[in-house]
Amino acid sequence: MANQQTKTIVVTRFDPDVDEVPKTQEYEIPVEADWKVLDALNYIKDHVDPTLSHRWSCRMAVCGSCGMNVNGVPKLTCKQALSDYGDRVEVQPLANFPVVRDLVVEVDGFMEKFKKVKPWIIEAKEAAVTEGTNRQSHAELMDFKQFSMCINCMLCYSACPVVSNEPDFLGPAAIALGHRYNQDTRDHGSAERNEIFRDDGGVFSCSYANECAEVCPKSVDPSGGIQQAKLNNVLDWAQGFVVRRGEN
Amino acid sequence: MVDVVRHDVVIVGGGGAGLRAAIAVVEADPTASVALVSKVYPMRSHTVSAEGGAAAVARADDSLEMHGYDTVKGSDFLGDQDVIQYFVEEAPKELSQLERWGCPFSRNEDGTVSTRAFGGMTTKRTWYATDKIGFHMLHALFQTSMKYDNIVRLDEHFVTKLLVEDGQCGGVAALDVRTGEMKAILGRSVILCTGGGGKVWPFTTNGNIKTGDGMALAYREGVPLKDMEFVQYHPTGLPGTGILITEATRGEGGYLINSEGERFLTTRDYGVGTKAELGPRDMISRAIMLEVRAGRGIKVPGKVGEYAHLDLRHLGEEIIDSRLPFVRELSRTYANVDPVHEPIPIRPVLHYMMGGVDVDIDGKANLDGLYAAGETACVSLNGANRLGSNSLTECLVFGARAGQHAIAQSKDTSEIAESKLVAQADAEGGRIADLRGKKAGSETISGVRETLNDIMEEGTGVYRDQTRMAKAVTDLAALRARYDAISLSDTSKVFNTEILAMMELRNLLDVAETVATGAVNRKESRGAHACEDFPDRDDENYLHHSLVYREESGTRFDTKPVTLGKWEPVLRSY
Amino acid sequence: MSELRPRLDAMRPSKPGSTRTADPRPPDQFPGKGNYFGYIAFGLGSSVMLLVSMNLLRSIWALMEGEAAFRALMDSFGHPLYVLFHTIAFAWLVWVALRFFSLFPKTQPFRMGPFQRPADGVLVGGLYAIFAGATVVVSAILAGAIF
Repeated sequence: MANQQTKTIVVTRFDPDVDEVPKTQEYEIPVEADWKVLDALNYIKDHVDPTLSHRWSCRMAVCGSCGMNVNGVPKLTCKQALSDYGDRVEVQPLANFPVVRDLVVEVDGFMEKFKKVKPWIIEAKEAAVTEGTNRQSHAELMDFKQFSMCINCMLCYSACPVVSNEPDFLGPAAIALGHRYNQDTRDHGSAERNEIFRDDGGVFSCSYANECAEVCPKSVDPSGGIQQAKLNNVLDWAQGFVVRRGEN
Repeated sequence: MVDVVRHDVVIVGGGGAGLRAAIAVVEADPTASVALVSKVYPMRSHTVSAEGGAAAVARADDSLEMHGYDTVKGSDFLGDQDVIQYFVEEAPKELSQLERWGCPFSRNEDGTVSTRAFGGMTTKRTWYATDKIGFHMLHALFQTSMKYDNIVRLDEHFVTKLLVEDGQCGGVAALDVRTGEMKAILGRSVILCTGGGGKVWPFTTNGNIKTGDGMALAYREGVPLKDMEFVQYHPTGLPGTGILITEATRGEGGYLINSEGERFLTTRDYGVGTKAELGPRDMISRAIMLEVRAGRGIKVPGKVGEYAHLDLRHLGEEIIDSRLPFVRELSRTYANVDPVHEPIPIRPVLHYMMGGVDVDIDGKANLDGLYAAGETACVSLNGANRLGSNSLTECLVFGARAGQHAIAQSKDTSEIAESKLVAQADAEGGRIADLRGKKAGSETISGVRETLNDIMEEGTGVYRDQTRMAKAVTDLAALRARYDAISLSDTSKVFNTEILAMMELRNLLDVAETVATGAVNRKESRGAHACEDFPDRDDENYLHHSLVYREESGTRFDTKPVTLGKWEPVLRSY
Repeated sequence: MSELRPRLDAMRPSKPGSTRTADPRPPDQFPGKGNYFGYIAFGLGSSVMLLVSMNLLRSIWALMEGEAAFRALMDSFGHPLYVLFHTIAFAWLVWVALRFFSLFPKTQPFRMGPFQRPADGVLVGGLYAIFAGATVVVSAILAGAIF
């Protein structure tokens, strides 16, 4: 195209076999007007430097693989338009995560936190297949639907200042997910989950910086969920207190 | 020597079918241990991108009989009717199970699960969760699988070879992507659930990970791939990127429009009758291509070729936001179009492979200890054309059955000489080590991949002819030499994605070879295989499944009868 | 400013990973720039509140000691530094209140019994109305118009 533009993509490189600490590498590449940041990385990988390592798959903002910090802000690179930036665009691995290589971060710590909130339906009793489906009103669905939209892209963990300072903190996505199950009428596990939520690193570690909500690409708004979970926990505790007092 | 891990069942792939199979194994036998091996973290699996819904009979005005016949007719009578019968019976149970595992299905006023209309289905039987059913299904399955401690995940492990000894599959050799080390993951049975290979084609709804790995793994061990010539073009993908715009847009009442503003499926005869936009995918895709050929495509200079419009404006903002919010998000982000105010540009893009590893109704392949389920497998549910929303249900129904059978069978299998399997994995590790940073010729991975895409677009598009299909076969053979001349530059062991791309490309080449071979051998038009020199269906000579084998000398083609039943083949019209 | 780092074990798995990793970086621009500034300022607002409260306690204390002591304290508040402090504290705490209002709606459950959560605007508007009402009442008391 006649109006072919070029941009300089500044990419964090780290090869643990060679590098002591991460360094940056600059690539000046031709770009198309409708490119996302991911397109630029894939262009580099395919045509300039095949040693660049990054994760991606669906390129439609739903698999959650390609989260990175772009010019300092956590973004889904397949969703973020390249044209929103100037001639230099800096792409770094997600903050707060150990870096495995280049733009690839270590996910296993997140997976552990994720599992801690028991993200599955805890049934009062095991139902037989023949019992069919549960009934749930639209309003009941809406009580948790928003928090079920998380794609586990971990942008919120990259943005959260509490995550940086409190290694035990379950973090935005995990708490929002636990809250999602607590709010689901089909679930009967909120007592178990609230115990985890009240524990160290639970909901009360959140100081409501609201950064998770700012960066969330799917409008899950984990910070809202965490505050609601705090409220539920306080009410639960208060209720237990009153009931116990009444029993005496 | 390589690390050796032992489990009862090894599942390759952590998408809908793989997760369902894993849960089925541990529910059937709570003492069993399952290795869930995936080249990505399971929630990245491409099941995540399914939008429209999953089919199962739910309403009073519906019946198993109707779902069965819709599926048979959709398959252009190439579906095995025993399989279809089992599928429609199990479908409501499996979706109910998914509901109880927490999938947030959209609801009716009375709190029951809501269903929507879908292409080729007589009545509303597609269960949905707005327009993100795949995402919700995958996450519900993945999160549920975390309950079971004996489902052991091996995330980001890329399987490069099935370990086969004495005609028995006893595990897999997998590259730990992070360390670059090979592992021998042994089990008494292996279930392949790696999805399809849409990346064979240039314009596809499929993600980057859909490289036909499981199909190629089985094929290289001499297991036949079945009905590979049947690939589904989804009528409505975004031009350029191929991003999926769900059929639910038409299920909710969207129109397809040509450059003259004409709703061509109602004004011209494309065989879909009064179904119009809710015709089956093969027919709608052909209709769009014919509109473009007739000069009624919408042209934008210098971009992505001609296309049609999907018009949702008459649905109004409220319906679009409540039923199709993801479609709105995708259209705005990737096509710069707000469907509330403008029509969405769309074109047919490669979506799904009806073919796959030839398996029986239990998911068992033609090799002891090997199973397959989901898009990887061809259990012959979909025949020559899959109906939209049957595939997610297929993942559940046949994933569960494969899991149950794999564990039941694995108990009475004699132990295979473990040392021989480990030796194979060791050799495989050596091969990969040699490949790292290998200098061969002047070819690049992306160069060969682009040529492959071009060959397959030209030879196995929506419309095909013998000359172009035959050319694809010869061109693919020639491309092998170029593959061998690829030079690599990444010598690092840690997270070497170049090595992955190299091995994925090999899988793509293998899959492409079976597609072209199957296509050139089917001299008729059936379902998604529209052969212009043989425009009619030929039940006399071609009412059979195609099988493609890999042998020392090259590919071998064979056929296998279709299991018919109460529904005799008739002319397919709507 | 010295290099700010997150805890190295911030997102580290419980078992060490299979390959050497580079240390995590803190969230970019933390804590001074971008959105973090508001967060930090909001948090520091509590220190301002503490200082103002201490002055309030001092006033009550002075009242207990008699009118002379109270007047002396009040006079000392006329010092330019005190005026500056109270001006800043006033602006800061008003801002803290407004930020609190804007973050309030989503902390509430979607439904309260049979009622849907009101629209965000309604909740925020309600808080503003309460704030304005309280301001009017307090101003009236201070002006001696009531009580």
